[in-house]
Amino acid sequence: MDWIRKRLGLSAPGWLPFWVIFPALLVIAAIQLYPTLYTIILSLQQIEPGTGQFVFVGSRNFERLFGSIAFTRSLVHTAIFLLGYVAITLGASFAIALLLRQRLRLTPLYITLIFVPWIISDVVAGAVWRLFVVPDYGLFSPFFANPALFGEPNGISILTSVPPNQLSPRVPLPPAPALLFLIVASTWKILPFTTLLILGALQTVSPEVQESAKIDGASNWQLLLRIILPLIKPMLAVTLFYLLLGGINGVGMVFSLTGGGPGTSTEVISYLLYSIGFSKLDFGLAGALSVFIAVLNFGLIALTLKLSAAYEEQ
Amino acid sequence: MKNNKQLRSWVFNGVLIGICFVVFFPILSTLLLSIKEPEDVRRNPPILLPCDTESRAIDLRHCRFSLDGYSRVLLLRPNPNSFFGQSVTGRLFTQYLPNTLFYATFAALITTLLAGLAAYGLSRFRFQGRRLLLTSLLALSGVPLLTMLLALYQMNVRMRQLIPGYEERLFMVVVYVGFELPFAIWVVKGFFDTIPVELEEAAKIDGASPLSALVRIVAPLAAPGLVSIFLLTYVNVWNEFIANYLLLGRSELRGAMYGIYEYISQSLSAYNALAAACILVILPVIVIFLFTRQAFFRSMLEGAIKG
Repeated sequence: MDWIRKRLGLSAPGWLPFWVIFPALLVIAAIQLYPTLYTIILSLQQIEPGTGQFVFVGSRNFERLFGSIAFTRSLVHTAIFLLGYVAITLGASFAIALLLRQRLRLTPLYITLIFVPWIISDVVAGAVWRLFVVPDYGLFSPFFANPALFGEPNGISILTSVPPNQLSPRVPLPPAPALLFLIVASTWKILPFTTLLILGALQTVSPEVQESAKIDGASNWQLLLRIILPLIKPMLAVTLFYLLLGGINGVGMVFSLTGGGPGTSTEVISYLLYSIGFSKLDFGLAGALSVFIAVLNFGLIALTLKLSAAYEEQ
Repeated sequence: MKNNKQLRSWVFNGVLIGICFVVFFPILSTLLLSIKEPEDVRRNPPILLPCDTESRAIDLRHCRFSLDGYSRVLLLRPNPNSFFGQSVTGRLFTQYLPNTLFYATFAALITTLLAGLAAYGLSRFRFQGRRLLLTSLLALSGVPLLTMLLALYQMNVRMRQLIPGYEERLFMVVVYVGFELPFAIWVVKGFFDTIPVELEEAAKIDGASPLSALVRIVAPLAAPGLVSIFLLTYVNVWNEFIANYLLLGRSELRGAMYGIYEYISQSLSAYNALAAACILVILPVIVIFLFTRQAFFRSMLEGAIKG
């Protein structure tokens, strides 16, 4: 009997599972695990000005980071960005998904059309929205240059106008119009994806449940709030975490739309990492910021995994 | 009652068409900008349709279009040796798009191959630490590249110094593969799980080894899944900018997204050229998407449901 088992290769697989999985794991370890460890070590070091050698400095990079104006400022920018990005995206994609759920004859066409922005890269999306507001010649530039709408213009375009009367350098409130514009452009880019996720969740809500709720006299609003929303809550949570992760780490659109400007008014933490690490070449400080962002990421991912495990148990 | 239903459907259709228009408007206006004449590009106040005459705001018989933007991107120069007597000298076509083609093709091929093998192992064999491995892969599939760029940059610089004949393009491909793999493995494993094991067992009783069962039985059945992960990886790499820009030291190695960024950072006033470059760069992925959209939706939802 033993030779049959061996031939089947199922109960006595030997080294085969190892060899088919190993190559992939090797690449993942080289590209994801090793850099993570290296970044942690980097964050505890600094280049010594005289010798150009890395020396161990303990937590000094983190102290420098948390004490800097640029860091606090970029955190506030990121928070404002995430707030607008998540709220508008979730609200709009839920509304559009509800519309797409009505099985109209043209629904597949609508889905395909609405999905196109997702397939476009963030750099091109940023460029496309930048073209709307380039000084003087952008299609929306007369709108943003209108003093009746945006107060006395102190620049010729939202790409150049600096927000007046901010609270302090550390607390850049109210936000610059460019940051709000970045929210709109980012939402446009991600909306198709989140809409489809929510639409997928909506389609798992069984028609019987909805019918019986209607027979029991539930209004449309009650049906939506009491039946549908609780049922798709797991997917909404997944979408929320996905948006937060993408919002914290997405940087391509900042590059092409505003370049962090005007001034520093769209410098979110991902862009700050670029400007510290790759244009000021302060590797230790950038390492500390990388670790900070990575901790945020892992926290979000762990929370998502925990939530989905909890839902699977139910 | 019937009328009411019909009215509802009209309203829904109307709203959805409106949404489609709003969603499409940025692309549409970019397309229009790319075919405007230079004089219409520099109009203040700006116009959407270059179709106005002195008497009317829009007169469709008098629309002025030109390929000026595209010719600025292509930069055709006379070349007696070329078949058409002209050759393209714009860097987007001579450098950036070929580079992107290289990165996307090889990264997608290698990712699909490695993910297929690993997913087979994870789907068909039970071994110690399998659950832990699966959970770690799922966690890693959410990790963005951003925080690893600093270390990868140092890694690249170090290897460039140490290894003679070091090829940075290959490093870039490996980075993309390592980054796309965790998600790809999850998606492909999902596809493999739906294929009944009995088919392979029958083949193995007939004397096939597990690997040949994978190649001859599982892979053909999972072909739609493998194709969809290939396409998704291809488009992801095609669109990737930040790693490409920051990791590669020389601009002649960088891809098409850097080409777009270069146009912007040079802040040229030929906006029709920037628009034309955008259209040319997104055209391939939009065409791929329109012809294979089922494949996209499949692997996207597969990944999303797991994650």
